[in-house]
Order: sequence, then structure tokens, then C-alpha cells
Amino acid sequence: MKKEILIYFGTKYIMSQNFSPVDMGLNRLKMLPSQQERGWGRGFNKQNWTYDIKYILSIYFTAIIGLMTSCITPISDFPQITSRSFLTIETALTDQTEVNYVKMTYSSSSIKINFIRPVKKAKVYVVDEKGVRENFIESSLATQEGTYFPSPNFKGKIGSTYTLTIETADGKKYVSQAETMPTVPEIQEPTTQFEAKTNYDVTDVSRVGFNVYINLQDSPKKGEYYKWYWKHYEKIAFCHTCTNGKFNFKLGSCVVIDPPAPNGGDIETVPTYNYYCDGQCWNITTGLDINILADTYINGELVSGKKIARIPYDGKNPYYFRLEQRAITKTAFEYQQGIVEQLQNSGTLFDVPAETRFNTNIKSLTNPEDKVLGIFNVYSFKKQILYIKRDKGVPIQEKPVPIIYTGEIFSCSGFDPTCIDRTPCEESSNRTKIKPEGWVD
Amino acid sequence: MLINPNSMSKKIFLLLVFCITTFFTFAQNITLPKLSGIVTDANTGQPLVGAAISLDFKKSGVITNASGYYEAFLPVGEIIIKVSNVGYKPFRTKVVIRGDYKLDIQLEDVSKTLEEVIVSSEATKKNIQTPSLGVTSLSIKGIKKLPAMMGEVDIIRSLQTLPGVSSVGEGSNGINVRGGAIDQNLIFVDETPIFNPTHLFGLFSVFASDAIRELELYKGGVPSRFGGRTASILDIKMAEPNLEKFKLQGGIGPVSNRLMTEVPIIKEKLAVLVAGRLSYNDFLFKWFGPANLQNTRANFTDLAVKVFYRPDKNNSISLTSYLSNDFYQVDSLFSLENVVAKQTKFDYGHQNFAVHWGHYFSPKVYMDVVGVQSTYNTRTYAPDSVNRIDLKNSIGYKNLKATIDYQPTESHHTNFGISLVRYDIAPGTLNQGIISRVSPIDLAKEQSLEIAAFADDEFKVSKKFTIQYGLRFVQFYNLGPFTTTKYQEGLPLSTAPVIGTETFESGKVVKSYGGFEPRITMKFSTSETSTLKFGYNRMQQFVQLLSNNTTPLPTSRWKISDEYVKPQVSDFVSLGFFKTLKESIWEVSAETYYRKTQNIVEYLSGAKLQLNPTIETQLLQGEGKAYGMELMLTKRRGEFSGWLSYTYSRALQQINGATAAEKISNGDWFPTNYDKPHNVNMMLNIQPTKHHSFSFTFAYQTGRPYSSPVGLFRLADKTYPVYESRNNDRIRDYHRLDFSWTINNPSMKAQRWEGSWTFTVYNLYGRKNPYSVYFKSDKAGLKAYELGVFAAPFVSLTYNFKFL
Repeated sequence: MKKEILIYFGTKYIMSQNFSPVDMGLNRLKMLPSQQERGWGRGFNKQNWTYDIKYILSIYFTAIIGLMTSCITPISDFPQITSRSFLTIETALTDQTEVNYVKMTYSSSSIKINFIRPVKKAKVYVVDEKGVRENFIESSLATQEGTYFPSPNFKGKIGSTYTLTIETADGKKYVSQAETMPTVPEIQEPTTQFEAKTNYDVTDVSRVGFNVYINLQDSPKKGEYYKWYWKHYEKIAFCHTCTNGKFNFKLGSCVVIDPPAPNGGDIETVPTYNYYCDGQCWNITTGLDINILADTYINGELVSGKKIARIPYDGKNPYYFRLEQRAITKTAFEYQQGIVEQLQNSGTLFDVPAETRFNTNIKSLTNPEDKVLGIFNVYSFKKQILYIKRDKGVPIQEKPVPIIYTGEIFSCSGFDPTCIDRTPCEESSNRTKIKPEGWVD
Repeated sequence: MLINPNSMSKKIFLLLVFCITTFFTFAQNITLPKLSGIVTDANTGQPLVGAAISLDFKKSGVITNASGYYEAFLPVGEIIIKVSNVGYKPFRTKVVIRGDYKLDIQLEDVSKTLEEVIVSSEATKKNIQTPSLGVTSLSIKGIKKLPAMMGEVDIIRSLQTLPGVSSVGEGSNGINVRGGAIDQNLIFVDETPIFNPTHLFGLFSVFASDAIRELELYKGGVPSRFGGRTASILDIKMAEPNLEKFKLQGGIGPVSNRLMTEVPIIKEKLAVLVAGRLSYNDFLFKWFGPANLQNTRANFTDLAVKVFYRPDKNNSISLTSYLSNDFYQVDSLFSLENVVAKQTKFDYGHQNFAVHWGHYFSPKVYMDVVGVQSTYNTRTYAPDSVNRIDLKNSIGYKNLKATIDYQPTESHHTNFGISLVRYDIAPGTLNQGIISRVSPIDLAKEQSLEIAAFADDEFKVSKKFTIQYGLRFVQFYNLGPFTTTKYQEGLPLSTAPVIGTETFESGKVVKSYGGFEPRITMKFSTSETSTLKFGYNRMQQFVQLLSNNTTPLPTSRWKISDEYVKPQVSDFVSLGFFKTLKESIWEVSAETYYRKTQNIVEYLSGAKLQLNPTIETQLLQGEGKAYGMELMLTKRRGEFSGWLSYTYSRALQQINGATAAEKISNGDWFPTNYDKPHNVNMMLNIQPTKHHSFSFTFAYQTGRPYSSPVGLFRLADKTYPVYESRNNDRIRDYHRLDFSWTINNPSMKAQRWEGSWTFTVYNLYGRKNPYSVYFKSDKAGLKAYELGVFAAPFVSLTYNFKFL
């Protein structure tokens, strides 16, 4: 369980800080193992006594003054009361050739992720305002089932208006609202600054990191909407880590080895094995939060120092950072704003009702009652690839919090010719063997 | 022959006593000191026969004879004496016996003692003698006996110990009365309205408790003199300053300090009462706070002043003012969408003023004229850097009301008058007159006038049947200057294209609504001590608080009804049965009610309410219904007093617009956030002596509803829950026990300065009551989390004093 102190402001909470037990001092009042070793005689030591009083007072008034001492507990056996699945349409139609797709799935009727199924063999196309049609064809790759791509040279045009049409294999037809591609300004002056969040424990990776800021010059035109999206690629050595088992190459995953029978002699503990990748492999990380902005309050102004990311301080090497600045449509902004308010900011005393928007800009022609998730997303973007230096501007006392591998490195012992000690790098949304753009070894 | 078991046991007891006295008589020879005295009735002075005197908690003892006399021989030393008699409050004392000791005791008749329960005797009288239904009178003296969270006497929390009153949870910004929303309650302090009844984001109630005399909560059966809200009226009355005697009282608690004084200026004619409350603890942030909270400030104040002038027997004039203020300062990012600021300050409060003139034309005709001006302002500002922010909004209220109370005969009691209310709302200004990169916004102000005439008459038709019938007529005008946006017809406002505007000049009527509000209650006495009642009333509401949050923020904006936002109208019926037992010591009641409200306000998914010039595009209107049954057992007097209540209540809404976007939960009825079917409330006060009193309150409620996902979907590698219907599941049940122990006048000496200590434990068994359940995604899917508030016992100590 984690203790949280929340302060609320305006229409949403503005600060949410996770106080580790050390910071809150709450658990000082309980017996921590280290304190048990030292005994609980601290109260009698005059010097420490004042120290404890200080903590007690700090807890007491922290709770009193406008801050609600709230307590967040994960529910381990959450019972789901109803289950439904809906057609989900994820799209990107941009002004560049590299990112254009329509991905269709049936949402999971469980709150577990592995019940999402791809929607295969659909007919997908977009038509622009001049009636020019571009067909999207389903990928032949097994890992990209239900994802449809246009011809490789296809790209949208800023100012053009597009309509998406989908005909599923079971005869249902869906049509989007017409959406116009907005103009995007250049990314200006990305800067970084080190920040340590002192309320986190020194061993917590959330404590230290670099904030990334940019400037944005909004145009005098009203009603412009922006989104920032970033990706990080990290070259990895190990492709799999198996605990209590070994990698099964047929299944392509770790298999738990049954512990030996209790009377079968020595109890062998199975170590944790790390497997090297069989080639170059990168892990992909994306920003956790949706970062969007409307020009409602800043129309025509220069927005300076807009924070668009926080990257971890898990090493001193330069950090590969691929930033996209997108100009999105009003529909897309409102849709994502709704998600931000309902999900990103949930868990406060002032939550807004949890709702899901269906049929945002895609509707069924065959059955108007049919509910569709997702959005026809038309945007233009600018990108920059940066290597963020992480060895400068850090106070001397702050140390990186590296990711530590535990266990042993698996290697084939001697003579077994069938033994393989390197595992494949599987292509997915968070891993690739394709060298990222602008990568410097 | 019939043997009365009571007289038998009495005889055995007498025999025992005889033996004991014989023993003592014998013992007298070795010169044991004698304890003797007379036990009398405190009111009549009559000797009490058969009162039992027990010594050192032993079952045996002596009883008084026909002249109330008792005697006992005791060894030298300390002894505890308890004197009890049926129908009288027991008396306990401790004496030190050194020689013969004389102790005369007066016992109080329980039926004549003052009540210990916060629901006052006025309420019992009302329940049995008058037709009023669904009205609860509370005395501040009683409220002070309830265990108070962090030692702060709290009206809003105290009200929640009553049946039919609840909230969404700890830290909610108001109360829900019989399934009504927070803004459907009209809260008056001496006729001045309170728009935000809490300090510190819902942690404590506003109001300086020392200045309050009593309060009445109309959960239904609202008299025709009140109007403007659809659910309830909370009428808080400030005490009139004592015209004869100076008085000073106050208290020191962990959160705030209080001081109240009553000063007679011209004896019997003019006096003033000043009561204030000041929170002061925020400097502790600087001293003890973690580094990131050291610049945090959180302060609140209340100030109530009442000047009372009685020039002669027939006239009285009073001036009331109530001021409240909250101030916060937090180091953090500001909430205005994506605007960066280093520190944010936050300021809000009421400035309420009222003038009353009361005049007796004759003993049968009384006139009351009241003029009110009140404003509630909020300001959120971030003064630093180039992105300066200064966001303000306010609501103003002016009222002129004249009421005549006329009692022509024994069987009629009439009340009639007129009222004029003006609202002025500034829904939001941003950065007016400030140089900042954040552009200024000035939303159009809204103003309205409500003209009302009302009359009601209480008519005693017969000894058994009384009817109170009334009528209120209200005409509402939304007034210019205002510009109404016109939308293309036949489309939902959220997507309809704007086809033009219509501008109204100052004072021109933008939109008008109005109608009659019949009010009726009937009483039928089924016996001397029991009544059956029926009530119906209609209420209209022309101003609403816009908030899509679980509980409204103090900065939420108010909205006057206009062309698009229709006024809320509620129809309410209730039926009640009341009975008192044992000379009104016990009371049982059962009430049922049903309310239907039209044009309740809801919001589009992801509605944007702050600084939105076309707010109508974000609102949905629909229907609400609430029904329930409240059962209550009250013991008003005696050593043990208190109540136990059970309430079954539902509060549902339906938003079923023409298009999918204008529906919530597919257009089906869904439970509101405060729909909690089963509620049990218990309050117990134990007062063994004048010096000590113990109170317990217990509350149990069904967990409130929340929206539970039907599955999940993924977009751009992020996982989101799918919600299909609103509030389809419930959080765990809520229950809590509080305790307080008050030690009055610990020195036990009669003196002008009287102190008392109150020790309180809030949430005694430390239940981790949930406030909400929400979902976050992790690698495997969605993970459910429970948010709890005040999940541990909270101890506090308060010192109160009185100087008379």
C-alpha cells in the first residue's frame, strides 16, 4: 500500500506525490525491521526523541491542513460484473509516408489484455475532398494481423480533408466524419533540466530524471491543437529472462521447470537465466502520459518552457529521444482530453465520471446503434531525434538509478550440439531489431 | 391470592436492609461514623420514598423511609455513593468519611430534565403537535456533544448523523438531503445564503459555531416562505446577543482557535455579539513539512457579528454579518490547461450582510422585514513569471423580504409576504488588467430577478386534525445585458452550428419562467401521543452549480437558468408517523417520501465547464427521482440519551436525449454518486455526572456507486477501460465509529471562568473506508485501485472556556 498526499486545485488535482514511508515518517511509528534490530528505545534518546516528535507533528498537521491523507490500495481480486467487446479502430493519417495505418481490433471483454482480437480481411480506404481514393491493405505479417497499410508512397496533404470507410468481412460498413489535416509548426529549442523529486526514495527510479522542455509558437489562427509524442530506443543485450525455468524455443517463451520430487534427493533450485539476443535488438519506450495542448488561452503567443517529457536517470550515457510534435484535429483533441481527465487524473476526490466515448467520428452505416471505439486521427507532425546528455547538470550527490539484472547468464555447457543460448528479438510495439533512425552506436 | 412480585422483592430488600442496619446499629457501639441525609425531588422538594442508596457500587445498600431519610454507618475513608430512584436521574458522588457526615440529595425527574439529544424538544413538539413534516431542529448545544473530527464542531458533519442526510464521502463539499444534489439545498445563516458550506476543500464546515443558536433542516414540508431550491432548506439562526450580561467563550483546538463575546452596550436595549474562528497551524508546514511542502499555506477564518437593538417592546432591529475566507498557496503547476506556473494561490469566501426589522402591530400581528446582500468570490492566481494567471468568479445575492405573521383566532395561524431576489453571477474572468502571455477572458455576466409572493395558514380544524396549506408564486426573469447564442435547430447543442446571436440590453428580459408552488401538510392525531402526517410540496430552482466532479470544487461556477438551461422543478410527497412514549422520553418515527425532479443538470462526456462562453453546449438535462423510508428511535433524556435510525433511500437519474451524445448510460436510469440504499446511524450520549460526558456516533452506509468497466481497449499501445454504463457497481460499505469524552470544569469549583476539555477519536477502529475505485493500466491489463480517506483513527484534544 502506498501513502499518497493529494492537493486539489482548479478543476483537477495539480500535485500528486507518492510519499515513500521514509518521507512520510508514518512507518517510523510502526516497527520497521531495521528499527526492531536497533530496538525501539529511540523515544528515550533525547536527541532522537525530538526527531520523532517532529515526524509525528509533521504527519499530524499534514493530515490536518487541507491535504487529505489518502490511502491507495490495489484491489487484488477485482470482480468484473459485466463483459462486452466492441470494434476498436486506431488510425493514423499523416503528412509523411512513414506513419499511416488503420488498426482494427475487437476490444477485450475482460480487463485482462490478452483477449484483444484482430479484425481481419476488411476493406479499408480513405477518400480525399477531390474524391481520390487510397486503399489500405492488411499486412501479411503475423505480428501485424488486423493492421492495414496504404501504398508505401502514400502521404496526406496539409489542408486536405479525408474520409475513412471500412467494410468488415461480416458485411458491416463504417464511415468516418470528414477530417482536415492541420498545419504543424517546427519544434523549437528543446532543452533538458535535471530534477530530483525529493519525496521519492533514493533507490526509486522515479526520483531522478531529466525534464524535457520545448518552446511553441502558436499561430494567430484560433482553434489549434497540439500533441507531443516521444519514443526512446534502448539497445539491449538480453532478450529473455526466465525465472524458475528455461527458454523453450518451440514455444518462444520461458517454461517453468517443475521442482524435483520432494523425495528425489537434493532439492535443486532453478536459477534465473538471462538469454543474450541472437542479433541487434532495441527496447522501445514511449511516454506514459498523453501530452496535449489547445491554444484556447495562448492563441498567437509563444509558449516557452512547455514540459513535454520526463526521462529517467538510469545511466550516464546519452539517451536516444525521438520527439514528434503533432498538430491534431479538434475531434482528436477533445477525445484525448476526455481520456486525460477521466483516466490520467483519476483517483482523486474530484474525479469526473468515468465514461467511454463511442462513435467519436466513426459511425456504423449498417446499424446506427452499433458502438465503435477509437478515432479517425488525421494529423501532421515534425520530428527531431535527440541524444540527451545525462552526464551534465546533475548535482554531485545525485547518482543514477540503473536497471539491475539479477540471475545468471545462460550459456550452453560444452558438448550438447542442439543447445542454443541466444534467443530471438521478437518484433512488437515495444521491441525491434530494425535499427532506429539516427542511431549512433 | 395474587402476589405482586415487585412488592415481594421490595420486602426481601427491606429485610436485607433491616439486617444491615441492625449490623450497623451494632457496629455503632464501636463508633463507626454515620452517613445520613434526606433525598428529595429537585423540582418539588417532596421527599422521595424508597430511593436506593448504594455504597461503593455494591448491590446492597439502604433505602429512604417515608420522609426521605436514610442513614448508614461506614468505616472511615473514601466512599462512592449512588442514589437512584425510578423515573429520576441517578446521582453519584464521592465523599471522604472522617466523622458523621450529612448528605442531602436532590434527584432530578428525568421527564423534567433538559434534553441531552441534539434534536431539540422543539422537534418533538413539532412532530406531535404541529403538522410540519420532515423538519429537524437541532440545538448547537447538542451538536457540540457529538464527536467532532479534529475537534472542530461541525454542522455539516453533524447533520449527516441524521436519517436522510448523506454525502458522497469524507471531504465532500456539502450534503445530499433525501437524494438531492448539493446545490439543491438552500443554506441560510440569518437569511443570508451560503454557496460553499465548507473550508479546506470539504474538510470542515464554514460557520462560527459559537454564534449559532439553532438550526432547522427542512427535508420536506418546506413552508411557503422558503423557495428557490428543490431539495431542502437549512435555516441556521445566529444567537441574539445577551442584552444584560457580558459573556466570553472560546476554544483552542488542533486546527483552529475560536472566540465569542456578547457585550451589552445599552442595558436591555443594545448589544453586540462577535464570534470568530481562525485556523493557524499552517506555519507548521514551514517548520516540519517535507521540503516540497514548505511553501504550502492553508488558512481559513470565519467571522460573525450580530448587533441587536430593541428600542422598545414592539420593535427590534438586528444587523448580521458573516464573513468567511480560505487561503491556500501551493508550489506546483497550475491546473488551467497546460499553463505553467511555479506557485499557485487560492482565495475564496463569503461576505454576507443582513438587516432585520421586527415589529409587533399587536400581540396578534407581527411583521418581519429583512434586507440581504451576500457575495461569494473565488480567485485562483499564479503571480509569477510571464504566464501570470488570475482567475476569478463570483455569485452575488440580494434579497428584500417582508413577512407578516398573523394569528386571528386560536385555530388559525397565517403567514404571508413578498420576496425579491436578485442574482448576479460573474462566471469567470481571466487576467483582467494583467500583463501575461495567457490571454484575458471575460465571460458575460448573468443576472436574474425572482419575484415571489407567498402565504400559508395553519388551520386547526378539530382537536385531531390540523392542516397547513400554502402557496408560493414565483416569477423568474433572466435579465440583460446578455447575448444569447442561437444554434441550428434539431441538432444537439454540442455539435449544432451557430447561426447567430441575439443581444439583450441592460434590464431587458432574456428569458422568463415561473409558476405556482403549492405546499400542504396535514396532521391527524391518532392519540394524545401519536400522529399521522401527510405532506406535498413543489419547488422550483433557477440557479445551479455546474460541476461534473464527484463533489464540487469551491471554485465551481454557478449558472442562472436561460433559454437553454431550464429551471429545475421538484414535486415531493411524504407520509409520516410519530409517537412519543413515557412522557416524551422516547420517540419513534417513520417517514417515507418520493421526489421527482425535472430538468436536473448533467454533463457531456468530457465536458469543459471552466471559462466556457457557450456553457449550454456542455450541459444535458433530464429527470431525477428519489424515494426512501426513514425509521428513527430517539431517547431524549436521562443518563443515556441518543438515537438509532435506519434509512432506506434511493436517488436515481435519467438523461435520455435525442442523440447518443445526449444520453448517459444509454438513456437508462442510473444511480447518482450519492445513492446509498441502506444507512444506519447511531448516536449515544452518556452523562454520568455534570463533569463528564461520553459520546459515540456510529454510521453505516452501503458503498456508493462507481462505474465499473465492461472490458478494455488499446489505442496507440496504451490500454484504456471501456465503460458502458454509469455507476453500475458499488464500492465497499462504509462504517465508522467516533468517540468523544468531555470533561467540564475539571476544577469542579463554581467560578466565573469555566473550562472544559474534549478528547475525540474520529474513526475509532481505523476502518479504511473507500472513497472511490478507479482503474489504471498495467502490463497485463487493468488494475483496480481503491482510494481511501481518513483511513486511520484521528485523535484530537480541544480546550474550551466560558467566562460569564
